[in-house]
Amino acid sequence: MSFLFGGGRPQPSSAEKIAAAEAEIMLVQEMFHKSVASCKKKCVPNDYREAELNKAESVCLDRCMAKFIEVNMQISDKLKQNAPGGGGGGMFGV
Amino acid sequence: MLTLPISLNLAEQRELSSRLEKRQMNEFMTTFTGLVQTCFDDCINDFTSKATTPREQGCVSKCFEKQMKATERLGERFQEQNAALQAEQFGK
Repeated sequence: MSFLFGGGRPQPSSAEKIAAAEAEIMLVQEMFHKSVASCKKKCVPNDYREAELNKAESVCLDRCMAKFIEVNMQISDKLKQNAPGGGGGGMFGV
Repeated sequence: MLTLPISLNLAEQRELSSRLEKRQMNEFMTTFTGLVQTCFDDCINDFTSKATTPREQGCVSKCFEKQMKATERLGERFQEQNAALQAEQFGK
């Protein structure tokens, strides 16, 4: 069941389903890009003394990603609460 | 990858893959230009000569390696968390 097309509306066409799946993937990809940009900025110093990630940097990256996803969920929940007629499955208010 | 339960038949899946493939080249170019910009910004700050110095080259090469490793690590965590979330939301 998809929240985009639920509620007794006509069945989505093939093109619509493909577009929806594509949009979903692009959204996840964009979210990944943004998390990478933020977490690198916060965790990887830009003096590059070593080519390897050290322990502290690695742990920082791991935690940063966990937190980024948590914030993502939190805001997505809030957005869904504010959007009338929203709700249903999925973690994004698209 | 986190996906909504949009069910596609085989033909639709093929169409989706072909669209995503077309985006992949773009994706690669974005990664490339992004890396160039990051390592340029972080390593090259002296313009008293027009050639890069060995020091700058060393910095760029470490920058490249480290950036790649960081992206890889973040990608692993992202996948893991998404898989966990997905199991939580749709696996019940």
